[in-house]
Amino acid sequence: MTSGSNRPDAGLGERLRELDALETPGNGELIDRMFAEMKARCDRSDHSIRGFLRSRSTLARRLIVLGVFSMLAIVGWFAFPLVDDQARTMQWTASLVTFSVLLLIAMFMVTRPVHLPALPHWQSVCLVCIALGASVVAAFWPSGAAEAATQAPTGSIMAGVCMGAGLLLGIPVYALLRLVDRGNALGSIVAAAAAGLAGNFVLKAHCSVPGTSHELLGHASVAVLFVVGLGLVHRFVPGK
Amino acid sequence: MVNSSPQSKPTDEELMDAYVDGDEAAFRLLFERYAPILLRLTRRHLRDEELAEEIVQQTFFRLHGARNDFQRGSKLRPWIMTIAMNLVREHWRRSKRRKMTSLETETQAAQEADFMPLELRQRSELLHVALEKLPTSQREVVELHWFQERPYAEVAEIVGTSEGAVRVRAHRAYATLKQLLVLEIRGDE
Repeated sequence: MTSGSNRPDAGLGERLRELDALETPGNGELIDRMFAEMKARCDRSDHSIRGFLRSRSTLARRLIVLGVFSMLAIVGWFAFPLVDDQARTMQWTASLVTFSVLLLIAMFMVTRPVHLPALPHWQSVCLVCIALGASVVAAFWPSGAAEAATQAPTGSIMAGVCMGAGLLLGIPVYALLRLVDRGNALGSIVAAAAAGLAGNFVLKAHCSVPGTSHELLGHASVAVLFVVGLGLVHRFVPGK
Repeated sequence: MVNSSPQSKPTDEELMDAYVDGDEAAFRLLFERYAPILLRLTRRHLRDEELAEEIVQQTFFRLHGARNDFQRGSKLRPWIMTIAMNLVREHWRRSKRRKMTSLETETQAAQEADFMPLELRQRSELLHVALEKLPTSQREVVELHWFQERPYAEVAEIVGTSEGAVRVRAHRAYATLKQLLVLEIRGDE
Protein backbone atom coordinates (compact mmCIF):
# COMPACT_ATOMS: atom_id res chain seq x y z
CA MET A 1 0.00 0.00 0.00
CA THR A 2 1.41 3.34 -0.96
CA SER A 3 0.80 6.48 0.95
CA GLY A 4 -1.08 7.86 -2.02
CA SER A 5 -3.62 5.07 -1.81
CA ASN A 6 -4.80 6.44 1.51
CA ARG A 7 -6.50 9.30 -0.24
CA PRO A 8 -9.63 8.90 -2.32
CA ASP A 9 -9.20 9.41 -6.06
CA ALA A 10 -10.61 12.40 -7.91
CA GLY A 11 -14.07 10.92 -8.57
CA LEU A 12 -14.62 9.79 -5.04
CA GLY A 13 -13.10 12.97 -3.65
CA GLU A 14 -15.58 15.00 -5.66
CA ARG A 15 -18.50 13.01 -4.23
CA LEU A 16 -17.22 13.46 -0.72
CA ARG A 17 -16.95 17.19 -1.26
CA GLU A 18 -20.49 17.28 -2.62
CA LEU A 19 -21.75 15.51 0.45
CA ASP A 20 -19.89 17.94 2.64
CA ALA A 21 -21.33 20.91 0.75
CA LEU A 22 -24.81 19.52 1.19
CA GLU A 23 -24.54 19.59 4.95
CA THR A 24 -25.76 23.00 5.95
CA PRO A 25 -23.91 24.40 8.92
CA GLY A 26 -26.01 25.69 11.77
CA ASN A 27 -27.33 29.22 11.37
CA GLY A 28 -26.89 31.89 14.02
CA GLU A 29 -30.29 31.35 15.55
CA LEU A 30 -29.76 27.63 15.93
CA ILE A 31 -26.31 28.11 17.44
CA ASP A 32 -27.71 30.67 19.89
CA ARG A 33 -30.47 28.33 20.99
CA MET A 34 -28.12 25.37 21.33
CA PHE A 35 -25.63 27.40 23.32
CA ALA A 36 -28.32 28.73 25.66
CA GLU A 37 -29.63 25.21 26.35
CA MET A 38 -26.16 23.79 26.85
CA LYS A 39 -25.09 26.68 29.11
CA ALA A 40 -28.20 26.24 31.24
CA ARG A 41 -27.33 22.57 31.63
CA CYS A 42 -23.76 23.47 32.61
CA ASP A 43 -25.01 25.99 35.18
CA ARG A 44 -27.42 23.49 36.70
CA SER A 45 -24.65 20.91 36.87
CA ASP A 46 -22.25 23.37 38.52
CA HIS A 47 -24.67 23.79 41.39
CA SER A 48 -24.83 20.08 42.18
CA ILE A 49 -22.39 17.87 44.07
CA ARG A 50 -22.16 15.67 41.03
CA GLY A 51 -21.23 18.58 38.78
CA PHE A 52 -18.73 19.84 41.30
CA LEU A 53 -16.98 16.46 41.57
CA ARG A 54 -17.04 15.79 37.84
CA SER A 55 -15.49 19.13 37.03
CA ARG A 56 -12.47 18.47 39.25
CA SER A 57 -9.33 17.50 37.36
CA THR A 58 -8.78 13.78 36.83
CA LEU A 59 -5.96 13.77 39.37
CA ALA A 60 -8.19 15.46 41.94
CA ARG A 61 -11.06 13.05 41.28
CA ARG A 62 -8.75 10.07 41.71
CA LEU A 63 -7.29 11.49 44.90
CA ILE A 64 -10.80 12.11 46.26
CA VAL A 65 -11.82 8.51 45.56
CA LEU A 66 -8.57 7.11 46.94
CA GLY A 67 -8.89 9.32 50.01
CA VAL A 68 -12.45 8.17 50.73
CA PHE A 69 -11.55 4.51 50.13
CA SER A 70 -8.49 4.76 52.36
CA MET A 71 -10.41 6.51 55.10
CA LEU A 72 -13.16 3.86 55.06
CA ALA A 73 -10.56 1.08 55.04
CA ILE A 74 -8.58 2.54 57.96
CA VAL A 75 -11.68 3.24 60.05
CA GLY A 76 -13.07 -0.22 59.32
CA TRP A 77 -9.76 -1.94 59.96
CA PHE A 78 -9.37 -0.50 63.43
CA ALA A 79 -12.99 -0.02 64.46
CA PHE A 80 -14.15 -3.57 63.86
CA PRO A 81 -12.39 -6.78 64.86
CA LEU A 82 -10.51 -8.58 62.10
CA VAL A 83 -10.81 -12.32 61.65
CA ASP A 84 -8.76 -14.20 64.23
CA ASP A 85 -5.09 -15.01 63.69
CA GLN A 86 -5.79 -18.56 62.55
CA ALA A 87 -7.93 -17.33 59.71
CA ARG A 88 -5.30 -14.89 58.43
CA THR A 89 -3.81 -17.25 55.91
CA MET A 90 -1.98 -16.60 52.66
CA GLN A 91 -5.26 -17.11 50.81
CA TRP A 92 -6.94 -14.55 53.03
CA THR A 93 -4.18 -12.02 52.31
CA ALA A 94 -4.19 -12.85 48.60
CA SER A 95 -7.97 -12.33 48.46
CA LEU A 96 -7.72 -8.92 50.11
CA VAL A 97 -4.87 -7.84 47.82
CA THR A 98 -6.79 -9.04 44.75
CA PHE A 99 -9.93 -7.15 45.79
CA SER A 100 -7.87 -4.00 46.39
CA VAL A 101 -6.09 -4.20 43.04
CA LEU A 102 -9.35 -4.79 41.16
CA LEU A 103 -10.99 -1.94 43.05
CA LEU A 104 -8.12 0.32 42.05
CA ILE A 105 -8.40 -0.69 38.38
CA ALA A 106 -12.15 -0.05 38.48
CA MET A 107 -11.53 3.38 39.97
CA PHE A 108 -9.05 4.22 37.18
CA MET A 109 -11.52 3.06 34.52
CA VAL A 110 -14.41 5.04 35.95
CA THR A 111 -12.37 8.23 36.32
CA ARG A 112 -10.85 8.00 32.84
CA PRO A 113 -10.80 11.46 31.23
CA VAL A 114 -13.43 11.94 28.53
CA HIS A 115 -11.01 13.60 26.13
CA LEU A 116 -9.23 10.26 25.69
CA PRO A 117 -10.64 7.63 23.32
CA ALA A 118 -13.19 5.51 25.17
CA LEU A 119 -11.95 2.15 26.41
CA PRO A 120 -13.21 -0.82 24.43
CA HIS A 121 -16.25 -2.42 26.02
CA TRP A 122 -14.53 -5.77 26.38
CA GLN A 123 -12.14 -4.29 28.93
CA SER A 124 -14.99 -3.24 31.19
CA VAL A 125 -16.73 -6.58 30.71
CA CYS A 126 -13.46 -8.37 31.50
CA LEU A 127 -13.02 -6.43 34.73
CA VAL A 128 -16.57 -7.21 35.82
CA CYS A 129 -16.12 -10.93 35.07
CA ILE A 130 -12.79 -11.03 36.92
CA ALA A 131 -14.35 -9.24 39.90
CA LEU A 132 -17.20 -11.77 40.04
CA GLY A 133 -14.76 -14.65 39.56
CA ALA A 134 -12.47 -13.37 42.32
CA SER A 135 -15.40 -13.10 44.75
CA VAL A 136 -16.45 -16.68 44.03
CA VAL A 137 -12.89 -18.06 44.16
CA ALA A 138 -12.28 -16.27 47.48
CA ALA A 139 -15.32 -18.07 48.89
CA PHE A 140 -13.65 -21.39 48.15
CA TRP A 141 -10.56 -20.34 50.09
CA PRO A 142 -11.72 -20.43 53.68
CA SER A 143 -9.15 -21.10 56.40
CA GLY A 144 -8.51 -24.56 57.81
CA ALA A 145 -10.39 -23.80 60.97
CA ALA A 146 -13.26 -22.49 58.97
CA GLU A 147 -13.40 -25.60 56.82
CA ALA A 148 -13.84 -27.68 59.95
CA ALA A 149 -16.97 -25.79 60.73
CA THR A 150 -18.32 -25.62 57.21
CA GLN A 151 -21.42 -27.48 58.14
CA ALA A 152 -22.21 -25.21 61.08
CA PRO A 153 -25.93 -24.28 60.82
CA THR A 154 -25.25 -20.69 61.81
CA GLY A 155 -23.29 -20.16 58.58
CA SER A 156 -26.34 -20.02 56.36
CA ILE A 157 -28.32 -17.89 58.79
CA MET A 158 -25.50 -15.42 59.09
CA ALA A 159 -25.16 -15.29 55.30
CA GLY A 160 -28.17 -12.99 55.14
CA VAL A 161 -26.61 -10.63 57.65
CA CYS A 162 -23.32 -10.58 55.75
CA MET A 163 -25.11 -10.02 52.45
CA GLY A 164 -27.04 -7.10 53.90
CA ALA A 165 -23.91 -5.61 55.43
CA GLY A 166 -21.97 -6.09 52.18
CA LEU A 167 -24.69 -4.44 50.13
CA LEU A 168 -24.88 -1.52 52.55
CA LEU A 169 -21.10 -1.09 52.46
CA GLY A 170 -21.04 -1.22 48.69
CA ILE A 171 -23.66 1.49 48.18
CA PRO A 172 -21.41 4.44 49.15
CA VAL A 173 -18.64 3.08 46.92
CA TYR A 174 -21.05 2.82 44.01
CA ALA A 175 -22.44 6.29 44.69
CA LEU A 176 -19.00 7.87 44.91
CA LEU A 177 -17.82 6.27 41.68
CA ARG A 178 -20.98 7.39 39.88
CA LEU A 179 -20.50 10.91 41.17
CA VAL A 180 -16.97 11.22 39.78
CA ASP A 181 -17.76 9.46 36.49
CA ARG A 182 -17.98 11.96 33.63
CA GLY A 183 -19.98 9.58 31.47
CA ASN A 184 -17.76 6.64 30.58
CA ALA A 185 -19.46 3.86 28.70
CA LEU A 186 -20.38 0.99 31.04
CA GLY A 187 -19.21 3.12 33.97
CA SER A 188 -22.29 2.05 35.90
CA ILE A 189 -21.48 -1.67 35.64
CA VAL A 190 -17.82 -1.12 36.52
CA ALA A 191 -18.91 0.91 39.56
CA ALA A 192 -21.29 -1.91 40.51
CA ALA A 193 -18.44 -4.42 40.32
CA ALA A 194 -16.31 -2.07 42.45
CA ALA A 195 -19.09 -1.85 45.03
CA GLY A 196 -19.27 -5.65 45.11
CA LEU A 197 -15.51 -5.85 45.55
CA ALA A 198 -15.55 -3.31 48.37
CA GLY A 199 -18.29 -5.27 50.14
CA ASN A 200 -16.34 -8.49 49.69
CA PHE A 201 -13.14 -6.86 50.96
CA VAL A 202 -14.75 -5.73 54.19
CA LEU A 203 -16.57 -9.04 54.73
CA LYS A 204 -13.42 -11.05 54.04
CA ALA A 205 -11.42 -8.92 56.46
CA HIS A 206 -13.91 -8.93 59.32
CA CYS A 207 -16.34 -11.80 58.99
CA SER A 208 -15.42 -14.68 61.25
CA VAL A 209 -18.29 -16.94 60.29
CA PRO A 210 -16.64 -19.96 58.71
CA GLY A 211 -17.56 -21.99 55.66
CA THR A 212 -17.59 -21.94 51.89
CA SER A 213 -21.36 -22.00 51.71
CA HIS A 214 -21.54 -18.97 54.00
CA GLU A 215 -19.01 -17.08 51.88
CA LEU A 216 -20.78 -17.99 48.69
CA LEU A 217 -24.20 -17.02 49.98
CA GLY A 218 -23.19 -14.08 52.11
CA HIS A 219 -20.09 -12.64 50.47
CA ALA A 220 -19.82 -13.53 46.78
CA SER A 221 -23.52 -12.89 46.36
CA VAL A 222 -22.91 -9.21 47.17
CA ALA A 223 -20.84 -8.76 44.01
CA VAL A 224 -23.29 -10.81 41.96
CA LEU A 225 -26.29 -8.86 43.24
CA PHE A 226 -24.64 -5.51 42.56
CA VAL A 227 -23.61 -6.43 39.03
CA VAL A 228 -26.79 -8.26 38.04
CA GLY A 229 -29.13 -5.82 39.80
CA LEU A 230 -27.54 -2.66 38.49
CA GLY A 231 -26.90 -4.32 35.15
CA LEU A 232 -30.63 -4.91 34.79
CA VAL A 233 -31.37 -1.34 35.85
CA HIS A 234 -28.82 -0.10 33.31
CA ARG A 235 -30.31 -2.35 30.65
CA PHE A 236 -33.97 -1.51 31.13
CA VAL A 237 -33.88 2.04 32.41
CA PRO A 238 -32.47 4.06 29.53
CA GLY A 239 -29.87 6.62 30.50
CA LYS A 240 -30.13 10.20 29.33
CA MET B 1 -6.95 22.59 3.53
CA VAL B 2 -5.73 24.33 6.62
CA ASN B 3 -7.65 27.34 7.81
CA SER B 4 -5.47 30.38 8.28
CA SER B 5 -7.03 32.74 10.74
CA PRO B 6 -6.29 36.44 11.02
CA GLN B 7 -3.67 37.30 13.60
CA SER B 8 -6.14 39.23 15.72
CA LYS B 9 -8.28 36.17 16.34
CA PRO B 10 -7.43 34.25 19.48
CA THR B 11 -6.52 30.63 18.96
CA ASP B 12 -8.70 27.80 20.26
CA GLU B 13 -6.16 27.10 22.96
CA GLU B 14 -6.08 30.75 24.06
CA LEU B 15 -9.86 30.72 24.29
CA MET B 16 -9.84 27.50 26.26
CA ASP B 17 -7.19 28.86 28.63
CA ALA B 18 -9.33 31.96 29.12
CA TYR B 19 -12.38 29.79 29.78
CA VAL B 20 -10.53 27.70 32.34
CA ASP B 21 -9.62 31.00 34.01
CA GLY B 22 -13.33 31.87 34.18
CA ASP B 23 -13.97 33.84 30.98
CA GLU B 24 -17.50 32.77 29.95
CA ALA B 25 -17.34 34.71 26.68
CA ALA B 26 -14.45 32.53 25.56
CA PHE B 27 -16.66 29.46 25.92
CA ARG B 28 -19.28 31.09 23.75
CA LEU B 29 -16.67 31.83 21.08
CA LEU B 30 -15.45 28.24 21.19
CA PHE B 31 -19.02 27.05 20.78
CA GLU B 32 -19.53 29.32 17.81
CA ARG B 33 -16.37 27.97 16.23
CA TYR B 34 -16.90 24.31 16.81
CA ALA B 35 -20.66 23.79 16.91
CA PRO B 36 -21.09 24.13 13.11
CA ILE B 37 -18.19 21.72 12.50
CA LEU B 38 -19.58 19.23 14.98
CA LEU B 39 -23.11 19.61 13.62
CA ARG B 40 -21.87 18.62 10.19
CA LEU B 41 -20.03 15.68 11.65
CA THR B 42 -22.94 14.42 13.73
CA ARG B 43 -25.52 14.98 11.01
CA ARG B 44 -23.42 12.95 8.62
CA HIS B 45 -23.10 10.14 11.13
CA LEU B 46 -26.56 10.15 12.66
CA ARG B 47 -28.82 11.70 10.03
CA ASP B 48 -31.08 12.87 12.78
CA GLU B 49 -31.17 16.59 13.37
CA GLU B 50 -32.37 16.45 16.97
CA LEU B 51 -29.85 13.81 17.93
CA ALA B 52 -27.06 15.66 16.14
CA GLU B 53 -27.84 18.82 18.14
CA GLU B 54 -28.02 16.83 21.36
CA ILE B 55 -24.61 15.27 20.77
CA VAL B 56 -23.04 18.63 19.97
CA GLN B 57 -24.47 20.07 23.20
CA GLN B 58 -23.36 17.01 25.12
CA THR B 59 -19.84 17.38 23.67
CA PHE B 60 -19.60 20.91 25.05
CA PHE B 61 -21.20 19.88 28.31
CA ARG B 62 -18.47 17.28 28.72
CA LEU B 63 -15.82 19.77 27.65
CA HIS B 64 -17.13 22.07 30.37
CA GLY B 65 -16.87 19.26 32.92
CA ALA B 66 -13.38 18.33 31.79
CA ARG B 67 -12.05 21.89 31.53
CA ASN B 68 -9.80 21.49 34.55
CA ASP B 69 -7.98 18.67 32.77
CA PHE B 70 -6.98 20.97 29.93
CA GLN B 71 -3.29 21.68 30.11
CA ARG B 72 -1.75 24.78 28.66
CA GLY B 73 0.15 23.96 25.51
CA SER B 74 -2.02 21.04 24.46
CA LYS B 75 -4.23 21.19 21.36
CA LEU B 76 -7.95 21.68 21.81
CA ARG B 77 -9.28 20.29 18.53
CA PRO B 78 -8.33 16.65 19.22
CA TRP B 79 -10.00 17.01 22.62
CA ILE B 80 -13.30 18.15 21.15
CA MET B 81 -13.18 15.66 18.31
CA THR B 82 -12.43 12.77 20.67
CA ILE B 83 -15.31 13.69 22.96
CA ALA B 84 -17.69 13.98 20.00
CA MET B 85 -16.52 10.74 18.39
CA ASN B 86 -16.83 8.89 21.72
CA LEU B 87 -20.41 10.12 22.00
CA VAL B 88 -21.29 9.15 18.44
CA ARG B 89 -19.72 5.71 18.92
CA GLU B 90 -21.59 5.25 22.18
CA HIS B 91 -24.82 6.23 20.51
CA TRP B 92 -24.33 3.57 17.84
CA ARG B 93 -23.54 0.97 20.42
CA ARG B 94 -26.59 1.81 22.46
CA SER B 95 -29.15 2.15 19.79
CA LYS B 96 -27.72 -0.39 17.33
CA ARG B 97 -29.32 1.69 14.67
CA ARG B 98 -26.34 1.45 12.40
CA LYS B 99 -27.98 -0.61 9.71
CA MET B 100 -31.35 0.97 10.13
CA THR B 101 -32.25 3.62 7.63
CA SER B 102 -35.15 5.39 9.16
CA LEU B 103 -37.66 6.89 6.79
CA GLU B 104 -38.20 9.66 9.26
CA THR B 105 -34.57 10.72 9.35
CA GLU B 106 -34.22 10.41 5.62
CA THR B 107 -37.14 12.75 5.21
CA GLN B 108 -35.58 15.13 7.67
CA ALA B 109 -32.28 15.10 5.81
CA ALA B 110 -34.05 15.58 2.53
CA GLN B 111 -36.04 18.50 3.85
CA GLU B 112 -32.86 20.27 4.84
CA ALA B 113 -31.40 19.77 1.43
CA ASP B 114 -34.47 20.96 -0.43
CA PHE B 115 -32.63 23.91 -1.88
CA MET B 116 -30.07 21.61 -3.55
CA PRO B 117 -30.53 20.31 -7.11
CA LEU B 118 -32.26 16.93 -7.29
CA GLU B 119 -29.26 15.25 -8.95
CA LEU B 120 -26.92 16.45 -6.24
CA ARG B 121 -29.29 15.25 -3.57
CA GLN B 122 -29.47 11.81 -5.19
CA ARG B 123 -25.70 11.59 -5.38
CA SER B 124 -25.41 12.67 -1.79
CA GLU B 125 -27.95 10.05 -0.80
CA LEU B 126 -25.91 7.40 -2.59
CA LEU B 127 -22.80 8.48 -0.78
CA HIS B 128 -24.61 8.55 2.55
CA VAL B 129 -25.77 5.00 2.02
CA ALA B 130 -22.24 3.95 1.01
CA LEU B 131 -20.76 5.62 4.10
CA GLU B 132 -23.29 3.86 6.29
CA LYS B 133 -22.13 0.53 4.93
CA LEU B 134 -18.61 1.11 6.24
CA PRO B 135 -17.66 -0.29 9.64
CA THR B 136 -17.71 2.39 12.33
CA SER B 137 -13.93 2.27 12.72
CA GLN B 138 -13.43 3.06 9.01
CA ARG B 139 -16.17 5.65 8.91
CA GLU B 140 -14.58 7.55 11.74
CA VAL B 141 -11.32 7.69 9.84
CA VAL B 142 -13.02 8.96 6.65
CA GLU B 143 -14.85 11.54 8.73
CA LEU B 144 -11.76 12.84 10.46
CA HIS B 145 -9.26 12.45 7.64
CA TRP B 146 -11.32 13.60 4.71
CA PHE B 147 -14.16 15.74 6.01
CA GLN B 148 -12.32 17.26 8.95
CA GLU B 149 -8.98 17.21 7.10
CA ARG B 150 -7.00 16.05 10.09
CA PRO B 151 -3.57 14.47 9.57
CA TYR B 152 -3.25 10.74 10.21
CA ALA B 153 -1.31 11.27 13.42
CA GLU B 154 -4.14 13.35 14.88
CA VAL B 155 -6.79 10.91 13.65
CA ALA B 156 -4.87 8.13 15.41
CA GLU B 157 -4.83 10.18 18.60
CA ILE B 158 -8.57 10.79 18.42
CA VAL B 159 -9.64 7.22 17.69
CA GLY B 160 -7.05 5.74 20.05
CA THR B 161 -4.98 3.60 17.73
CA SER B 162 -1.68 3.70 15.83
CA GLU B 163 -1.07 5.83 12.77
CA GLY B 164 -0.39 2.68 10.76
CA ALA B 165 -3.75 1.21 11.70
CA VAL B 166 -5.45 4.46 10.72
CA ARG B 167 -3.75 4.39 7.30
CA VAL B 168 -4.90 0.83 6.76
CA ARG B 169 -8.47 1.73 7.76
CA ALA B 170 -8.43 4.73 5.43
CA HIS B 171 -7.12 2.66 2.55
CA ARG B 172 -9.81 0.03 3.07
CA ALA B 173 -12.53 2.62 3.53
CA TYR B 174 -11.67 4.51 0.36
CA ALA B 175 -11.38 1.26 -1.59
CA THR B 176 -14.81 0.15 -0.34
CA LEU B 177 -16.38 3.52 -1.01
CA LYS B 178 -14.92 3.57 -4.50
CA GLN B 179 -16.24 0.10 -5.14
CA LEU B 180 -19.69 1.04 -3.89
CA LEU B 181 -19.80 4.20 -5.92
CA VAL B 182 -18.04 3.01 -9.04
CA LEU B 183 -21.21 2.59 -11.06
CA GLU B 184 -22.49 5.96 -10.07
CA ILE B 185 -19.13 7.60 -10.87
CA ARG B 186 -18.91 5.86 -14.26
CA GLY B 187 -22.46 6.80 -15.03
CA ASP B 188 -21.60 10.39 -14.36
CA GLU B 189 -18.70 10.33 -16.77
